[in-house]
Amino acid sequence: MTEKDADEGREAAAGAASAAHAATEAAAERLGRKAAGIRLEKVGKRFRGGVDAVRDLDLDVSPGEFIVLVGPSGCGKSTVLRMIAGLEEVTSGRVHIGDRDVTNELPQSRDVAMVFQSYALYPRMSVRRNMGFGLRMRGTGRTEREKRVDEVAHALGLQHLLARRPAALSGGQRQRVAMGRAIVREPQVFLMDEPLSNLDAKLRVNMRSQLSLMHQRLGITTVYVTHDQIEAMTLGQRVAVLRDGLLQQFDTPRALFREPVNLFVAAFIGSPSMNLVEATVAGGRVSFGGLSAALPEGSPLAGGDRAVILGVRPTAFSHGEVAGWPSTTVSPAVIEELGDERHVIFELDAPPVDTDATRAAIDARSADDAQLMAGSSRARFTARLPADAPIAVGEPLVVSFDPNRLYFFDPTTGEALRGAASAGPEAGPTKPA
Amino acid sequence: MRRIRSWGPGLLLVAPSLLALALFVYVFLGWNVRVSFTSWRGLLPKYDNIGLDNYVALAHDQRFMQFDVPHIAIFTLVFVVGALAVGFLMALLLDRGVVGENVFRAVFLFPMAISFIATAIIWRWLLDNGGGESTTGLNKLLVDVGLGSWRSDWFRSSSRWAIAAIALPAGWALSGYVMSLFLAGLRGVPEELREAARVDGASEPRVFWFVVRPMLLPVLMSAIVILAHISLKTFDLFYAMDQKNLKIDTPALYMWFTTFDGGFYARGATIATLLLLGVAVVIVPYVWYSVRSEQRR
Amino acid sequence: MSASAPAERTDGRIRSRMAPYFTVVRYLVLFGFACFFLMPVYALLVTALKNPAEVSVVRMWEWPASLSLENFRIVWPKLREGFVNSSLLAVPSSIISSALGAANGFVLAKWRFPGADFAFPLILFGMFIPYQAIIIPMFQTMSYIGLKGGLSGLIMVHVIYGLPITTLIFRSYFSGISEELIEAAKVDGAGMLSTFFHVALPIAPPAFAVSMIWQFTSAWNDFLFGVLLTDRNHWPITVALNNIAGSQSVPFNEAMASALLASVPTLLVYFLLGRFFMRGLMAGALKG
Repeated sequence: MTEKDADEGREAAAGAASAAHAATEAAAERLGRKAAGIRLEKVGKRFRGGVDAVRDLDLDVSPGEFIVLVGPSGCGKSTVLRMIAGLEEVTSGRVHIGDRDVTNELPQSRDVAMVFQSYALYPRMSVRRNMGFGLRMRGTGRTEREKRVDEVAHALGLQHLLARRPAALSGGQRQRVAMGRAIVREPQVFLMDEPLSNLDAKLRVNMRSQLSLMHQRLGITTVYVTHDQIEAMTLGQRVAVLRDGLLQQFDTPRALFREPVNLFVAAFIGSPSMNLVEATVAGGRVSFGGLSAALPEGSPLAGGDRAVILGVRPTAFSHGEVAGWPSTTVSPAVIEELGDERHVIFELDAPPVDTDATRAAIDARSADDAQLMAGSSRARFTARLPADAPIAVGEPLVVSFDPNRLYFFDPTTGEALRGAASAGPEAGPTKPA
Repeated sequence: MRRIRSWGPGLLLVAPSLLALALFVYVFLGWNVRVSFTSWRGLLPKYDNIGLDNYVALAHDQRFMQFDVPHIAIFTLVFVVGALAVGFLMALLLDRGVVGENVFRAVFLFPMAISFIATAIIWRWLLDNGGGESTTGLNKLLVDVGLGSWRSDWFRSSSRWAIAAIALPAGWALSGYVMSLFLAGLRGVPEELREAARVDGASEPRVFWFVVRPMLLPVLMSAIVILAHISLKTFDLFYAMDQKNLKIDTPALYMWFTTFDGGFYARGATIATLLLLGVAVVIVPYVWYSVRSEQRR
Repeated sequence: MSASAPAERTDGRIRSRMAPYFTVVRYLVLFGFACFFLMPVYALLVTALKNPAEVSVVRMWEWPASLSLENFRIVWPKLREGFVNSSLLAVPSSIISSALGAANGFVLAKWRFPGADFAFPLILFGMFIPYQAIIIPMFQTMSYIGLKGGLSGLIMVHVIYGLPITTLIFRSYFSGISEELIEAAKVDGAGMLSTFFHVALPIAPPAFAVSMIWQFTSAWNDFLFGVLLTDRNHWPITVALNNIAGSQSVPFNEAMASALLASVPTLLVYFLLGRFFMRGLMAGALKG
């Protein structure tokens, strides 16, 4: 099954790249003009039983923008998507698509297309009829319908599957049919509810780039829901991080990475995740675990003494001594060799950070990043270092970190204490292999 | 040898049941067919062989051809269509969730818990055809609410369709079952499928027609097959309702009376075999098909 | 089984403007149907609870002037024996056929032998045959082996003809046991009987409830086998009922009262254990 899907992935890539061109250029012409913005105004959703799935959400999506809603399960992201689609009634607030207030409108009359997580293909209809259904419901004539279905089927490499029923298709093929059904509609907005999570890893990565490509070609406003922060960062022009129904931050991936607005966002975004430790600020310096560094110039923390939570990205570390950077000798506990770089995990003599926010962020991360063993009584740091110098587990290692790339958070509220002016070069989120 | 030891005990455990059923179902069926080839009349069995004479005789039997066969056809038609329509409608109404759904379902299903004899007794009075001063039952109710023109002789009428009146108690007893079937079928349609159709622009009626309806076909087939076979088998209801009334005679009734009242065992066996064939025509493909599709899954 | 719980499917959906009107119509129609289904019950109760002197066929629909249990007092002696007989019939036969059904269902689901998939449809077919096609041979056989007249023959017949449905119920139920569980038991050293007793039976009570309730109802409500195989000392309730109320000359109130009394046990089972009754129904409809 994986083999087959891999083949299809390649097939799809080839199909999309070549055959798509002419057809989609025309579509892009048509569609570029149609793209509409989405505006959510103080939107809230309360379910029977008093559960607030979404609270006071303000979201503004520009026409043609690709945004991602990301967060742990239960954070309300799917609910928001469904409210835009009209599948959930809005408890409070208003929803606008384009310049229309669609808050009370049925899904039938909103011009949106949706790709469901389970694909929701009509089991008794052929692929052709599945893809043409939306057009048929809107009164498009037969010839026009056939033409558009053929166009899109070609673009997605589905032309030889048009007569088949969903049961006779593989997972990857079904996923493409689901996408095709949405594309053929040429709607104002695309909504996607974790469309890639049922695919195996390799196919998923493949489809991700297809999605980006498609968005570039078609330029339709897209709202994409996922629980995978890597997917969010790679696909979204802007990403909205949600937690427990509240919007944490809505920003470009770069801004989320460099200027997280609270502990949850900081711990959630970035792979490997940010290292966190409890620290004290006193006399213009921050100290933790026997280390101490001078606060950056003009930092708002310089004034007083307080306890903070300190964050250091794995990419802020360097091997050996660096002029002007604080350094320390550590004993690597685990070394992960990744070819041209390595992840070195070591412990610091300082208490680890364990708050609701960090726990939620850890739970929410994809399984690959989850920790097997429960945390010890010491903070555990991961440093991303080049793979050239010889290091071994247990042998003393000197590392230094950039004092200008520190993140500070309030220990009680988790709010970022702005003062981490990142002046240096940034590696950005890790691109997985 | 080891293989046999792995499944042997299982076979041993079911063997008594298999043997019992082999005897009580298949041997008896064959035996019955054998009797239909004899001229057995009276209490002492007689196993001669007169071939298909009994079947030929039945084809000329007035009671059988003029009454039983048309009656059972009419009854099956009215009953199956009626129960399907009512059951389906009730399922449709309940599907979207109503307050007190459990109460409604209990009300629609409880007649299944009552024996057909009791059902017949109740409905015999409800469908009484007394006139004028002695109007009662359903007729009385109709008169009282001003629908007196709908008054009917029900199953005592001299019309061909008298037997259709019996579809009322039969439907009363079994519509709830049809409803359960359709309700399970309707609820088996994933909500996401309906949502996809709505987003695609289909209004509710069209969502039903294009998405839900095609998925109900298997349920419909099940329901038709089960209702049809029950219709052919039904004996208790007619027996207790009005057994001597030729206007509602059926093959099942005829078989009983001709065998155990009249002693015409051979003729009874012949009717029974024909009933078996009628039932087999619907049931065999159905059982075969559903076991096969289960295996395919 | 998704049909058992009322679905919260309309939670949060945007309703069209016409929706409230449709809802009202819906409730009205449902209520109408409910009236149709309950109308006979009303007639039954109202008649059975009337004083015999008050009963008149013409005034059938009127509420009793005074409630009276006289009718029940009259018919009970005539039904009592039938009650006892039916109990002696229904209880043992439901237990035995359920036990056998459990064993069969287990083997067919989880301990298949060659030809098991062929045996199953053959067993199933036994559920659908018209009984007319076997009563002559059965009558002969039961007379021959001397089991005609008393209740033992009837019990045996109900057990045997109940096997297809009980087997079906248990087979469906046991096919939900994961193959791995069975394999783990085998590796642990369990043979077929041990697996049956220690893996299957512990989870079987719900299936037993379904099977026994269904069989009990079926045996209690049966008429054909009862009237064929028993003598007058051993008539089950349905036969007794038909004798009392079957003829047209019997007082109307007695007929209704006896029909009501005869149905009480199965109705009780239905109302108290309806959930299991429902599942038995569903088991009988194979998913085509």
